[in-house]
Amino acid sequence: MTDEEASRLLNAYVDGELDPAKSLEVEAHLGANPAARAACERLRGMSAAIRDQADYYSAPAALAARLRESVPAAPAKAPGRAWRWGWLKPAAALATVAAVTWIAALFTLRPGEEQRIAQEALSAHVRATLADRLIDVASSDQHTVKPWMSARLDFSPPVTDLSGQGFELAGGRLDYVGGRSVAVLVYKRRKHVIDVFVWPSSADAIARTTTREGFNVEHFARSGMSFWLVSDLNRNELSDLADLLVERSAAP
Amino acid sequence: MTAPEYHEPHSGGPAPLEGTLSEQKERFERLVLPHLDAAYNLARWITRNDHDAQDVVQEAVLRAYRFFGGLRGEARPWLLAIVRNSCFTWLQINRPADMAGFDDRVIELHPMDEESPEVLAMRSLDRRMLNEAIAALPTQFREVLILRELEDLSYKEIARVIDAPIGTVMSRLARARRLLAESARVISNASVPQVNK
Repeated sequence: MTDEEASRLLNAYVDGELDPAKSLEVEAHLGANPAARAACERLRGMSAAIRDQADYYSAPAALAARLRESVPAAPAKAPGRAWRWGWLKPAAALATVAAVTWIAALFTLRPGEEQRIAQEALSAHVRATLADRLIDVASSDQHTVKPWMSARLDFSPPVTDLSGQGFELAGGRLDYVGGRSVAVLVYKRRKHVIDVFVWPSSADAIARTTTREGFNVEHFARSGMSFWLVSDLNRNELSDLADLLVERSAAP
Repeated sequence: MTAPEYHEPHSGGPAPLEGTLSEQKERFERLVLPHLDAAYNLARWITRNDHDAQDVVQEAVLRAYRFFGGLRGEARPWLLAIVRNSCFTWLQINRPADMAGFDDRVIELHPMDEESPEVLAMRSLDRRMLNEAIAALPTQFREVLILRELEDLSYKEIARVIDAPIGTVMSRLARARRLLAESARVISNASVPQVNK
């Protein structure tokens, strides 16, 4: 790989956007070129500095409230679709929609137990975000959150402070997923909120990530507990948190 | 060489199906409103003003609701594309100067002295200076930087938001970072006495 090509691909490499083969080529180039390696480190440093220090502007509460009110309860027209369905009688359109839904469900959804729970955890996360009710017990102290949880549930969830690793414990809440009351530990990373749903489970499961509705959902089960992580944080960092939780839950 | 291939870290979810009309608002609140912070953050960084960002986002979200039937794939890039369009329409009317020179070729970069230690000062640049340096970037570079670093969007998603090929995303992002490194160098050169105290 030439210097020119490597420097052209460096941003995509740092952003994790290259395919594995190209990534390896860039890595080989970096191994042989200290100057390119330094440039790569500078890029990473800049990215970290922006993520840590650039202002993140959350929507003002008043704007969110105003929008929720002004989105009309009565259905709006969807232009751009009208021409496609316009020639159908409404009843026929409805039947078509039902058939499409049924066929799509048949072929794509096949809601296994795991998918159903992922969807429930995601819905719980979104509900809590919308209602601004993410946290029942606000504390970054694991020794406050854990007893609070244990007193209200029939199990004692593992609660670990991971602020040293960049995942700040913001608190916890109780929620209802998969037909039972569960513990939700709320972590923050930069401006992203991560819900960690925890409840007892006898089977172990290896970590798996899926993307739904713009959120990443990661699941694993370990040491008698089932974990579901839901966030709009990127997959890599969500997996980092999962790894840390696996590590901590293995230690008694 | 041929065009590089890219990962697609975020697979597009299934397109939402048309529900009954009465479910529309509920679906909109569930799929779109959770991304309101991302919408506001983008609008705030493009308009660089709280009041304007609120106006633009309000209009964009209502617009998104009108076009909700057209949503295919992920809701977040879809909403951000609408917000971005509203921002640009607003800028064209109210602050045309921000839209001037909206052409990648206009920004000529001087080759950077790669060994210069000042470039390393990025980390030590204080928070206020960093934010000012980002705010001072031309709009087309600022927006890709915000989408990538603050919203964690993949190149593919950014391409969808700014309605441009992935290659353009890649080159704008690279230029945004070089411009920022350049201004960090200028700032830290100017403030060397303070840094050393």
